[in-house]
Amino acid sequence: MLKNYLKIAFRNLAKHKFISFINIFGLTVGLTCCLLILTYILHETSYDRYHKQADNIWRVTRSWNNKEGIVSLHLGAVAPPFGPLLQNDFPDIQKMTRVLLTGTQPMRYEDKVFNEKDVYFADNNLFSVFDVPLLQGDRRNALTDPFCVVLTPAVAHKYFGNADPINKVIRLNNQYNFKVTGIFEPLPGNSHFHPEIMLSFNTLKDSTIYGEKNLASNFGNNAFFTYLVLPKNYPVKNMEAQFPAFIDRHMPANKKDPAAKPSQYTRLYLQPLTDIHLRSHLDEELEENGDIKRVYIFGAIALFILLIACINYMNLSTARSTLRAKEIGIRKVAGAHRQEIIFQFLSESVLVSFLALILAAALCWLTLPSINTVTGLQLSIQSLIQPAVLIPILLTPVLVGLLSGVYPALFMSSFQPSKVLKGLFKAGNGTVSFRKVLVVTQFAVSIVLLISTAIVFQQLHYMQSTSLGFSKEHVLVMDYNVGLNNTYESFRTRLLQDSRVLQLSRSSRVPSGRLLDQSGASTESGDSLRPVSADIKFLAVDHDFINTYKIPIVAGRDFSRNYTTDSTNYVLNVAATKALGIKTPEDLVGHSFAYGGAKGRVIGIMGDFNFESMHQQIVPLILTMPTAKQAYNFNNISIKVAGNDVTGALANIEKVWKTYLPEIPFQYTFLDEKFDQLYKSEQKQGSLFTCFAGIAIFIACLGLLGLSAFSISQRIKEIGVRKVLGASTGSIVGLLSRDFLKLVAIAALIAFPIAWYTMHSWLRDFAYRISIEWWVFLIAGIVAASVALITISFQAIRAALANPVKSLRSE
Amino acid sequence: MIDLKRISKWVNVGGKPNFILKDINLNIKEGEFVSIMGPSGSGKSSLLNIIGMLDDSSEGEYFFLEQAVHSLKEKQRSQLYKQYIGFVFQAYHLIDELTVYENIETPLIYQNIKSSERQAMVADILDRFQIVGKKDLFPTQLSGGQQQLVGIARALIGKPKLLLADEPTGNLNSRQGEEIMELFKQLNNEGVTIIQVTHSEKNAAYGSRIINLLDGRVDLS
Repeated sequence: MLKNYLKIAFRNLAKHKFISFINIFGLTVGLTCCLLILTYILHETSYDRYHKQADNIWRVTRSWNNKEGIVSLHLGAVAPPFGPLLQNDFPDIQKMTRVLLTGTQPMRYEDKVFNEKDVYFADNNLFSVFDVPLLQGDRRNALTDPFCVVLTPAVAHKYFGNADPINKVIRLNNQYNFKVTGIFEPLPGNSHFHPEIMLSFNTLKDSTIYGEKNLASNFGNNAFFTYLVLPKNYPVKNMEAQFPAFIDRHMPANKKDPAAKPSQYTRLYLQPLTDIHLRSHLDEELEENGDIKRVYIFGAIALFILLIACINYMNLSTARSTLRAKEIGIRKVAGAHRQEIIFQFLSESVLVSFLALILAAALCWLTLPSINTVTGLQLSIQSLIQPAVLIPILLTPVLVGLLSGVYPALFMSSFQPSKVLKGLFKAGNGTVSFRKVLVVTQFAVSIVLLISTAIVFQQLHYMQSTSLGFSKEHVLVMDYNVGLNNTYESFRTRLLQDSRVLQLSRSSRVPSGRLLDQSGASTESGDSLRPVSADIKFLAVDHDFINTYKIPIVAGRDFSRNYTTDSTNYVLNVAATKALGIKTPEDLVGHSFAYGGAKGRVIGIMGDFNFESMHQQIVPLILTMPTAKQAYNFNNISIKVAGNDVTGALANIEKVWKTYLPEIPFQYTFLDEKFDQLYKSEQKQGSLFTCFAGIAIFIACLGLLGLSAFSISQRIKEIGVRKVLGASTGSIVGLLSRDFLKLVAIAALIAFPIAWYTMHSWLRDFAYRISIEWWVFLIAGIVAASVALITISFQAIRAALANPVKSLRSE
Repeated sequence: MIDLKRISKWVNVGGKPNFILKDINLNIKEGEFVSIMGPSGSGKSSLLNIIGMLDDSSEGEYFFLEQAVHSLKEKQRSQLYKQYIGFVFQAYHLIDELTVYENIETPLIYQNIKSSERQAMVADILDRFQIVGKKDLFPTQLSGGQQQLVGIARALIGKPKLLLADEPTGNLNSRQGEEIMELFKQLNNEGVTIIQVTHSEKNAAYGSRIINLLDGRVDLS
């Protein structure tokens, strides 16, 4: 019996090639999207779970707050003394390990010099906390001695070729020699950090590098990522509750408020290792993390697309099934029970949806490599092959098949054969209205996606084109090297001799980065200085920073080489004056001001500018100028070049660089590229949205095509009669299209509030955002309606042009 | 074999019953060849559908082989129908997606007959109707007469006692029609009870008895 069913199923598919094609194809596309998104979600949620102790590893994080408890800063890293002190005070801590990410470091072996980005200091017990296989060397003490280094095979190969890397000596920053003691396997893609080079933590004890005293007492340098191993199912909240007392025991009092306990201004937290990638959005992370919200958004999109595809499948199956009315009548006459008819239809639709699943899996397998190339992710189809995932995937077609088969099956099997065979069969109004609901749902989803896409791109355009309050064009950014500390002035003069180099400046950070450094500030109050409660971040700069970035001065003046005392003077931004409660910026100029304990004078107020990404509010900012001795504050050099000959300028800068820093590779990025990078995730989101919106609309149109074909076939006699009575082709097309456009209109009305709400909450992530315009909705509606109209016209025009004699003869 | 008592059938049009059949009393014995005649709309096909259990009457009693069809459950009725009744249509009603062979086989599938047995039975009837060479063709590849032959073969494959035919020659030319009627005559001689609806006096003459319907009543004049 089943054989007979399958046979007729296939012959039916083959007979109505067009309808079968859009039916199967629609579902295939939908399922492919779902599978792809599923691999992405599985990848995102798998982060750091591969460690054997994953569930017992916790990261220590630290926040700063004012007395009212409002958190101004929360870092994923803490100061170096915390780790050992915690281990000392809490015996439940089984292991503690720390890593410190260094900036880019030039490394050299013989004549090979490279700038290395992912260089970490790592505690010697890192290997016993994290599952990082050591390919060569001894797990227990590869990182024990100072000045030891372990590398990934790729890095080792870069420096040593095929020679055995163990015990080779590599030179860091032209200052220190490190001995290679091990080779470790690179951490997989789903790890929250990816060291390429790990230096032994004990190296930091060297006083020329960091010093034991600093390690034990510097509570200000919160850059050490500290991980604890706790017993299984440990009550972490209890330990966190003891942290305030712990802080008060060990930390010095807050300078702004010496009477208060330190724990009133700072807190420590424990964060599960497996939460870092998706749920941690702290101000300092080792790498850019994912976002659980994004996972939810994509999950929702996957479900939506699956929904649309299923609806579509149901819709077309129902349409198709009416073509089979006669067959059902004959089968009933031949003695088929109702159940047998139901079984036939259900098995057929399950079979077809399985076919779609197989095609989808194949498509997924084919497209995944190129998706990985485009997105830079390491998605793998293998992640789908595990029982917890595979079983639901295999059940989907059964469910989809049943859902889409059950309606036609029940409906068709109830036909009175005598009526069907007499040609009296007409699908009841029930089918049509049910399927109208389906079409409305599909279009509502499509319109939501269309609007979302438009708004994502508007916001993206807004962020990239809005004036930032400074000039980011033709600015090169490079890592500052301590080798320039004593020669910087002559280096600068040499560069400025080239007319293509307009200006250059050193600073602790460059725009597009974060502003995280902060000290206490005091303002003039009568004869003395009084600490202020406002949070003001600082940026260490030299004389030329404001000039290089063309930041407007609102009041007072810029730093100048003409005033030798400027190294103790300050420039603030307008936001800072507001935070200090000063109405007109001029009022502050010339007054005494202390920052980080150093007394000086406010010489100027600069305009607000978007140093950080548009996600962040412009924060109160102070520019400080370190003395020549404090040049270690500088991390970057920014060089503004003329736009007409950038290549020539670059060549010359490189030449000068090589003269002053022969040991250091010349490496630069353009600032506007760095800004583009900031919005990479929005950019990706935008293009993915476009893709999904396109797919959704496409599938919805397939559904509409099916529905219109069906409904027109039901009205063929009416059309014939109207034509005989003199209706024009145009009026008939209008008549047929009107009904469907009504559906799109209803869909739009449902979609608008949903889209408004979701995009409104999406935009809340941005401190600087567009307002949602009504015309976006209008355009999305018009687009959907036009696409729908074009789809319907195919059928409607054909029906309207058909010879009425033909359609009327059948009666 | 068939005993209809006061059978009526109506549909409600605008709240008023519109009678299709009214007060039909009819008795047909096994082995008869009955022709139902009458103008369009007189209720011929409706009567045939009620006899063939494809449709219910609105009122009255129907006994088939001493069983009260009007009070049987759907399942039992279908069992009865499957076992004893074969149907032939004016428009043949073959399944376009199935071959001649598969079309004929279909009723057997619903009678849960084993595959090997089905093969033998279908082969037999193909042989008898001399359409073995056509068994792998699809209905659209056949002439009208050939299609009706397949339709009859399908109706007979379950060895029914009663063959119901609704204008079996209506779509055929006269020569093909005659062939079909000859076949009916022959089947009747073999013991199959036949009831046919027809417009043609000539075809009706093949039968042993003629029932005339007029406006839903048996016309006795």
